[in-house]
Amino acid sequence: MLLKFQASRFCVHIQLTMQASRSAHVATGVENNVTAAGESSNETKTHFRVCRFIIETGVKLGMRSVPVATACSLYHKFFQTASLQVYEPYLVAMSCIYLAGKVEEQHLRTRDIINVCHRYFRPGSDPLELDEKFWELRDSVVQCELLILRQLNFHVSFEHPHKYLLHYLLSVRSLLNRHAWSRTPIAETAWALLKDSYHGLVCVRHQPQHLAITALYLALHTYGVKVPAGEREWWQVLCEDITKAQIEAILTELLQLYDMEAKCT
Amino acid sequence: MDRDLLKQSVAFHGQTLFSLLKCEQSENPDFKHVTADLAKSVNQRDKEDDSPVVEQFIARKADLLFAPAWKSTTPGEEEWQEESQEPYAIMPPLEQFMDVSYNERRELFYRDVERGDVVIGRITSIRDFGFFVNLLCTAGGMERDVEDLEIMGLCPIRDVPSTGNHDDPLSYFHIGDLIREHIVWIYYLLSNTAGVKDIDRYHEKLTVSLYPTSLALNMERTKLGVISKEELPLHYTRGEQVTTDSRESYEMLLQSSLGFSNPSSVDYLLGMLGIGDTQSHSLMRGLQSKHFMEDDFASAIRKKQSASWALKCVKAGVNHFKSGRHVEAMNEYNKALEMDTNNVEALVARGALYATKGSLVKAISDFELALESCPTHRNAKKYLCQTLVERGGQLEEEEKLITAEGLYKKAIALDDTFHEAKEALRKLQMHIQKTLKLKAEEAAKEKEKQLTAETSAEKLRKILKEEKRMKKKRKRYDSTSETSSSSDSSSDDLSSRKKPKKRKHKRRRSSHSGKKHKQRVSSRDEEEHYPVPANTSASFINEKQTLIKLLDGENRAENRTLSHEKSREGRFEDDPFTRSPETEDRKVKGQNECFSGLNGRDKDTYRDRRRSEDEHSTQQESCRNARITSCRKDSSSSAYSETSRKSDSRDFDSRKSSSRTSDSRNSHSSDSRRSDSYKSGSHGRSEVREGNDRQISYSDVSKAWEGNQKKNVPTNLLDIFNQIAEFERERKKK
Repeated sequence: MLLKFQASRFCVHIQLTMQASRSAHVATGVENNVTAAGESSNETKTHFRVCRFIIETGVKLGMRSVPVATACSLYHKFFQTASLQVYEPYLVAMSCIYLAGKVEEQHLRTRDIINVCHRYFRPGSDPLELDEKFWELRDSVVQCELLILRQLNFHVSFEHPHKYLLHYLLSVRSLLNRHAWSRTPIAETAWALLKDSYHGLVCVRHQPQHLAITALYLALHTYGVKVPAGEREWWQVLCEDITKAQIEAILTELLQLYDMEAKCT
Repeated sequence: MDRDLLKQSVAFHGQTLFSLLKCEQSENPDFKHVTADLAKSVNQRDKEDDSPVVEQFIARKADLLFAPAWKSTTPGEEEWQEESQEPYAIMPPLEQFMDVSYNERRELFYRDVERGDVVIGRITSIRDFGFFVNLLCTAGGMERDVEDLEIMGLCPIRDVPSTGNHDDPLSYFHIGDLIREHIVWIYYLLSNTAGVKDIDRYHEKLTVSLYPTSLALNMERTKLGVISKEELPLHYTRGEQVTTDSRESYEMLLQSSLGFSNPSSVDYLLGMLGIGDTQSHSLMRGLQSKHFMEDDFASAIRKKQSASWALKCVKAGVNHFKSGRHVEAMNEYNKALEMDTNNVEALVARGALYATKGSLVKAISDFELALESCPTHRNAKKYLCQTLVERGGQLEEEEKLITAEGLYKKAIALDDTFHEAKEALRKLQMHIQKTLKLKAEEAAKEKEKQLTAETSAEKLRKILKEEKRMKKKRKRYDSTSETSSSSDSSSDDLSSRKKPKKRKHKRRRSSHSGKKHKQRVSSRDEEEHYPVPANTSASFINEKQTLIKLLDGENRAENRTLSHEKSREGRFEDDPFTRSPETEDRKVKGQNECFSGLNGRDKDTYRDRRRSEDEHSTQQESCRNARITSCRKDSSSSAYSETSRKSDSRDFDSRKSSSRTSDSRNSHSSDSRRSDSYKSGSHGRSEVREGNDRQISYSDVSKAWEGNQKKNVPTNLLDIFNQIAEFERERKKK
């Protein structure tokens, strides 16, 4: 049912893009009108699904984590100022992936993106014919990319928590006993948590350092690993302006995403 | 599920987590196995500061979090690099910022330090049994700064490698001791045996070694020994920076670090930590790797798509081909193959196009490629067979029978019902047999040829015998002719005639004078033949040179034909080859043999001549000079023989004449031998010269060949011969 809905949306991409570019300026006005609580929760769900779509497509395209993160961030940023009613989220997502590949210097071919996305909506179907329809689709993706760029005022590069997290992981590792470290999948868990955080708005709402610390904190807590503490806790050292409350807040937000998953699928 | 991990977690979170786990993982059979174990480890202590959200999360995701597969199996490469460049930000140890208490840090150090770790310390005192070091920091996997912990290590003397120059290995470090103010840094290695390690833990004593054998495997490359301040690990120097400037925070240091802004630091660190980046790494249920189908990946879809697109191109190409637009068809096929390099249909179609265009080799390679990726493709097989047979036919025409046979056999191997190939193979094999027979015959002929070559020598012998007989008759008139010729030659020398027609004439005359000289010498002493005539040499040589040039030009062509004809006459009729210099040589040798066999005296003279000739050739290194002399001799000898043959009714001493003839022959042979020696350089020329000589001699000697020869000799030469004949007649009258 859902897939059908998505598929039909995929087909009207081209039309929508034309609409989208025309109504770009009205977009902010439209968004303000949408205030109903039920609708916003619906929107969150949609965004979650589209983000899932981006991440899944990223895996199928062989994208690294950082470009996927950029794609998700682009998507979130775009819909922070634009309305779901005006823009087709999946087309935006495809363009975000394409743009993220450019921003993070992992070259992705539009043909691959379109192929994978097409199959996402119609699982098991034959690949698209490379005909007029395909080229129109491709054009719409490229057009949408320009739209995103304009909407974001060409601010398309983000500082991601990924490298913070990795450096923190190294620092914490030398604090711990090496056997404890090698036995416990702290790094894996923290990395997965960080990647999962891109399903929602957590990734754009918080500082990258905070996100990284939260992911690491959660990973350490999950396995019950105690880090020696002096006058200051390890996270206090890593980032001076973070508080325990902040970590807890982000943590809750992050873990809600896992509940979202159950709701959305 | 990893039991120990789960235990640890449950112990940390307490009862609440355990109950949650029991609730959430009730359906997990793995969990049931460990439940009993877990129940024991749960203590009643419940951490109040833990949020229930986290516990809920752990409980829900426990099957993922504690799955053994979750921990990446490939441990990160913990290569410790001494290089100064940092691919990522190397940070000072965290505890330095955390202000962990002295005792706890000491405790932690002794807990975590292990055999094989690399430490860096400063020598504090040197004793007879070794030296003590104050540890500064550790290096390698565990990076800690222990300078202020006053941790001492002992390096016993047996763990100090001898430097070789000193009997006492410690003497090397005495120097270090002396310059301790300048700080001697040493890499130490903790080398505790199991027993020592225990002492370690409880008595807090460390033994270090400078022997690299006690290093852990991944640090084997580390050099142990004295180091300079620059070689200290980055985390230590950065840590020092922090202790001196307390305002410096971890964050600031990280931001300012060059490695942090390295765009590839993420990839590098992921490799270090052993995390694969492109595969799905998620705690989301929907993103588990098992949900990803291989068919859904971009590369797989692209491949499929390219294949179908390529097929479309092939179809278009076939249409082009059918309507005769071969270029367009080829373009389509190539396009298809560009998209899908191993597209069978495209390969077959292109092969067919190649075959129709006549590029059979390309066609065959295309068909073979197609069959490689799809061995059952019927069309490919059929076409390949046909093309192979066709190519075989081509090769047959090119006389490459064996290759052709191979192709036919290949075709039959591919399709044994293909009669055309069988037929072709049968024919070819017959043909091969035939050619083999022919070859055998040829070989037999070759043998025969060699036999006839010998007979030709016999023939020559006969001819020479006849010559001799004639000479005997001639010798009687020799004296009179000699005087007349000498007078003639002198008059010729005076008058310098420059016309090429006359040259020949003159040459003969001068040779006459040479001959006269020779004769005199030979009559006086037979051992010294052919000394260079003193008075005439200069004019001689010059004239001869021009003459030779002239003759070269004139006679080159006719010599060929002449020699050809001669060989044809002298040997067998069906010799299709032009005479090679080797056969010539052989023939001459045969002459030599027959002559040397004739009389012993001649043999001696011949030998002497040969010696002198050899000397001559060695003396005159220049090729041209040698040529000149040989020519002179040739001409003189030929002229001599010529006269001798002409005057057949003369009465003369038989012995002398025979010796002379042999001489002339010898000179001839030696000449040819020499020409052989510089065959590579002036092969043609020497041949020409010989031909020239021969021509002259034959023209005069054998009347039977005369008619034949006149056909080949150019008119000017004929004139010359006529003049000679006239001259001789005149002389007879005298």
